Amino acid sequence: MTVAAVSRLQYRPKLLLLAAAVVVLALLALLPPYIGLYQTQLLTYGLIAAIAALGFNLLLGYTGLLSFGHSAFFGIGAYSVALLLRDAGIHSMELYVLIGLPIAAVISALFGYICVRHTRIFFGILTLALSQVLWTLAYKFFWVTGGSDGLRVARPTLLAGMLTFTGGGSFQRFINAYYYYVLGVFAISVVIMWVIVHSPFGKALQAIRDNETRAAFLGLRIRRFRWVSFLISGTFTGLAGILWVPLNGLTTPEVLYWPFSGEIVFTTLLGGFRNFTGPIVGGVLFTYLKTYAVATTEYWQLLLGVVLVLLVMLLPTGIVGAISAVADKLRPQEKSS
Amino acid sequence: MDKPTTVDRRKFLGALGVTVGGTGLAGAGLVAGPQLVKAAAEPPKGKIPDTPYRTGHMTFFTSPAAVLGEPSHKGHIMAAEEINAEGGLLGKRKIETITADEAAGTDANVKELRRMKLEGKIDLFTGVISSGNSPALAPVAEELGVLTMFTDGCTDFVFDVADPNPKYVFRITNIQSADGITAAIGTAQTWPNVRKIAHIHPDYSYGRNASEHFTLAIERLLPGTEVVSENWPKLGTTDFTAHITKIMSSQPDLLYTSVWGGDYVAFYKQALRYGLFDKMKVATTLAMGVAPHAIGKDHPEGVLSGVHSNYYFTYPGGDRWPLNKAFVQRYYKRWNEYPNFQSEGAYVALYMLKTAIERANKLAGGWPEDEAIISQLEGLGMDTPSGYIYLRPDNHQGYKDAVTGFSKNLPDYPFATWDPNRVITIPIRNITAPGNWPKPGKGHNESTAAADWIKKTWPKAMG
Amino acid sequence: MSILIIQILNSLFYASVLFLIAAGLSLIFGVMRIVNMAHGTFYAVGAFVTAWLVGRALALGVPAGWTFLLIPVGAGVVALLGIVIEPLLRPFYRRAEEYQLLVTFGLLLILEDVIRVLWGGLPLSADPVMDVLPSIRIGGLIYPGYNLVVIAVGAAAAVGLWAVIYRTKFGVMLRATSQDRRMASALGLNVALIYVSAFAIGCFMAGLGGAIIVPSQAAVLGMGIDALVLAFVVVVIGGLGSLQGALIGALIVSFVRTAGIQFFPEIELAVLYLIAAVVLLVKPTGLFGTA
Repeated sequence: MTVAAVSRLQYRPKLLLLAAAVVVLALLALLPPYIGLYQTQLLTYGLIAAIAALGFNLLLGYTGLLSFGHSAFFGIGAYSVALLLRDAGIHSMELYVLIGLPIAAVISALFGYICVRHTRIFFGILTLALSQVLWTLAYKFFWVTGGSDGLRVARPTLLAGMLTFTGGGSFQRFINAYYYYVLGVFAISVVIMWVIVHSPFGKALQAIRDNETRAAFLGLRIRRFRWVSFLISGTFTGLAGILWVPLNGLTTPEVLYWPFSGEIVFTTLLGGFRNFTGPIVGGVLFTYLKTYAVATTEYWQLLLGVVLVLLVMLLPTGIVGAISAVADKLRPQEKSS
Repeated sequence: MDKPTTVDRRKFLGALGVTVGGTGLAGAGLVAGPQLVKAAAEPPKGKIPDTPYRTGHMTFFTSPAAVLGEPSHKGHIMAAEEINAEGGLLGKRKIETITADEAAGTDANVKELRRMKLEGKIDLFTGVISSGNSPALAPVAEELGVLTMFTDGCTDFVFDVADPNPKYVFRITNIQSADGITAAIGTAQTWPNVRKIAHIHPDYSYGRNASEHFTLAIERLLPGTEVVSENWPKLGTTDFTAHITKIMSSQPDLLYTSVWGGDYVAFYKQALRYGLFDKMKVATTLAMGVAPHAIGKDHPEGVLSGVHSNYYFTYPGGDRWPLNKAFVQRYYKRWNEYPNFQSEGAYVALYMLKTAIERANKLAGGWPEDEAIISQLEGLGMDTPSGYIYLRPDNHQGYKDAVTGFSKNLPDYPFATWDPNRVITIPIRNITAPGNWPKPGKGHNESTAAADWIKKTWPKAMG
Repeated sequence: MSILIIQILNSLFYASVLFLIAAGLSLIFGVMRIVNMAHGTFYAVGAFVTAWLVGRALALGVPAGWTFLLIPVGAGVVALLGIVIEPLLRPFYRRAEEYQLLVTFGLLLILEDVIRVLWGGLPLSADPVMDVLPSIRIGGLIYPGYNLVVIAVGAAAAVGLWAVIYRTKFGVMLRATSQDRRMASALGLNVALIYVSAFAIGCFMAGLGGAIIVPSQAAVLGMGIDALVLAFVVVVIGGLGSLQGALIGALIVSFVRTAGIQFFPEIELAVLYLIAAVVLLVKPTGLFGTA
C-alpha cells in the first residue's frame, strides 16, 4: 500500500469518532427543552458521574489498579466548595474549580504516593482505609464540616459572576444554565482525557498494566507512572465532586463513605472499563438505573446487586465492550493488500 | 454583660408555670368519638376540581429509627382515610399518598423530594423525622415551591438559619430546644439535689442541641451542677457497653440522654444488665417517643421519659379531653397499636391543612392557591388530641404546651408507660424564644435563638 | 479498679466477635485467595437467623435456657448459605482479583436486601437469651454473665480453629492448598471440596459472630456493612491469611476502640483507620501476614 493510503486509513477511524462525538454533543445540547426540568437535572447528575468515572478509569482501565477509595476525592472536591462558600464567602463557580482542583490534586498526590507502593488487593484495601479516615474526620469534626448534617451550598454564580440566580423562577433557570455549564466542562474533560490516554504517557500506562516486568525492563519507572496516573485520576474525580455539590445543594459525609466508592466502581464496570467511552456511558446509565430503582422498589439494593453480578458474569467488558464486540463481529473483514 | 438576677429555685419553677398533675386516666366509656374538625356544615363555595390531592410522606420505614418514625405514616394515613371518607378535601379532592423511606440518607432524600415534586407532582410534602434531614429539605422545598408540613425534624436550625423566612414550609411538632429545657425542668423539679451529671447523646445536631439547651437551663435552675462525663455515640450505634461503663465510672447523680428510637431501646436493655439504673437517676428527652409498645416492661420505673415535649397517648386521659380518647381508640382500632407523638403530629398536620383550605375557600371560593392556604395556616390555632396547637406566623413553627412524664408499669398495658400521677406540663411560651427574637447571626452568635433568649432573660436559681 | 476490669472485659467481649468475623475472612483469603466483600453480611445473616429462631422458640414456649442451642444452629445456617454460594463463585477464582471484589460486592447488595425482605426493617432482638445468665459482681459494679460466655466462645473458637488447621489432617490439606493449589491438586487432593469446606468454615465463623452477639444487641440492617470495614481493619493490622493476625488484630482494634471511648471520644474511629493505614505502609502484609 502506498504511504498516503496507509495514513488515510489511519485517519479515517479518528475522523469518524470525532464526527460521532460532535453529533452526540449536539444532541445533548439540544435536549433540555424536550425532556423537562427533572430529566435535565438528572442528566446533569449523569454527566457529573461520567466525569468521575472517566477519571477513575484512567486508574483502572489504563493502569490496571482497582481503587476502592475514590469517594475520598469526590468528597474533597465537594467539601472544598462548601468550605470556600462558608468560610471565604466565595460564590463564583470558576473560583470553586480553580481552587478546588488543586486541593483535590494535592490529596490525590498524597494518597497516591502512599498507595502505589502496593498492588492488587492491598492497593484496594489501602485506598479504602484512607478514604475511611477522611470520612471519620468529616463526621467527627462537626464544627468544621457540619458532621453528619453536612454543609449547605447555595447557588453559585456562573461565568465569572455574569450569571446569577435569585428571585422567582431562579430554580428553573439555574438548572437549565447549569446543565450547559456542566456539559461544557464535560466536553473539555473528555478531550483532555482522550489526549492523555493517547499520549506516550497513556501508552506507557497500558504497557505497565499489561506486563509490569517487561515495562520495567524497558526502563519505565513503574511507581512514578502509577503515581501520576493516580494524581490525574483523583483530580478528575475531584472535579466531579466540585460540579456536583452546587447541583445537590448539600454535601454530607455519605459522599465519603466507602459504598460510594463502590458505586463509582460499579459505574465504570457497567459501561466497560476496557475502552474509553465505557465510563461515560456507565456514568449516565448508572445515574438513571439507581434513580429509577429507588423510585420503583424498596428493594433497589437487591436490584443493583443482581445487575452487578450479572454484569461481571456475562458482560465483563461492560455494555460498551459488549456492543463493540458485537460490532466487530458484524464488520466485514478489511481487505489486506 | 449584667450579672443575671438570682431567684429562689422553687419560686423560679413556680414562675415557669410547671404543673405536675394526673393524666386523668380513669374515665367512663367512650362517647362516639368527636372528630378533630366537624365535616363542613355548608358546602364549599365555587367550583372545586375533583382531581386527587397528592401528598408525599417521608419517614423512617427501616432502621432503628423506624420505631419512632413509622407511626408518622400511620397517623397520616388515618387522617387521610377519615377525610376521604367524607369525600376528601372540600368534599371533592381525595388525598393520595406516595411514600419514601427516610433511611435512604440525606442526599437521597433531597433527590427524592425533587422527584416527588417535579415528576410525582405532589401538592403537599409531609413527614421527615430526623433533624439531619429537615434542614436539608426545607430550602429545597422552598426552592421547588411545594407546600410542606414537617411532622418532626424539629431542630431550631431549620427556621433559625437554614430557612429563616419560610414561605412554604411549616412544622407541626414542638421546636427542639424545648426538649432539653423540659428535661432540665423535670430534673430540677423532681431531683433538686443532683449535682454531677453525665451525658450521652447521639452524635449529630439533635444530640448537640439537646445537650446544650439542657445545660443552659440546668445551670440556671440548679446551682452547682457539673458535667462529669460526655459520650457521643454515632446515631445507629448498637453496642453501648463501653459507654455505659464509662458513664458508671464517672459516678454521676444523674444521667441525661437524648438517645432515641431503637438506639434507646438497645441502650436501656444493655444498661439494665450493668445495673446503671440503680446507681443514678436518668432523664431523657425522647425515651417514650417511640411507638409505645417498643418499650418493654423491663424498662426501669421512675425514669424521666420524654416525648420530644409533644405528646404521650395517655395524656390528657379519661373523659377530660374527649378528642384524645377518641383519637387513641380509633388509632388502636385501625392499627392495633397505640399512637406516639409522630402519629399525632402527622394526623394533626393533615387536619390543619384541611381547616386552612376550608377557610380559604370560604373567603374566596374555588380551590385555594398555595398562597391562600399558607395565609390561613399562619396563625392557625386548633384543638388537637394533644391539646391546643398554634402555628406561629413569623416562623411557621407549631407551638403546644410541653409535656413529660415518668416511666411506670401499669397493669392495663403490656409495656412500660407513664405514671399517671406525675405528668409534668409546662406552658410553651415559658421555654421557647418568643416571636421575632433575633436569630443567630443577627446580633448574637449563639447556636439558636432560644439559647440567646435563655442567656439574656433567665435568672439564676439559688438554693 | 473495678472499672478497669470491666472495660478490659468489654474489650475482650468486642474482640471475640471481631475475631470470629476476621478469622473467617482471613481463612477464606488464605485458602482461596479471595476477599469476600459480603463477609460482613454473612455475619448479619447469622444475627438475624438466630434472633428469629429465638423468637419463634420462645413463642412456642421453649424455656429460655434451651435457646442457647440455637446459637450454633444460626451459625450453621450461615455455613449452609456459604456452601450454596461457593459454587457460584467458582468461575471467578481464576479471573482477575478485581472481578472477585466486584462480584462479592454485588453479593453484599443482594444479601442486604434479602435480609430486609425476610425480616423487615425493624431491629430484631433476642434478649431473653442473655437474661438466662445472672450478672456477676465485680467490685461494687455488676457485669452481665452472658458477656463472659461470649469471651469464652471467642477463645474456644481461636483454640479450635488453630487445632483444626495445625493439628489435623484436614488442616494439613487446607494449608497445602493455600500454599500451592496446583501442587495440592496434583498430589490428589480434592481441591474443590477443600474450597467449599474452607468457605463454609469461614461463613460459620462469621455467622457465629452474629449469633452470639445478637442477644446482647439487636440485629439491625446495615450491621454487616459496618462490621466489614472493622474486619478489614483487623486483617490489615494482623495480616490477611493469618489466624494469629486475626486474633492480635482483633485485640488491638478492640482495646484501641475502648480506650478511645473512655478517653478520647472524638477520634475513636479515625484512630483505627489511621493505625490500619500506618500498618499498611510499614508492613503491607500486616503484622503476621504472608504475602
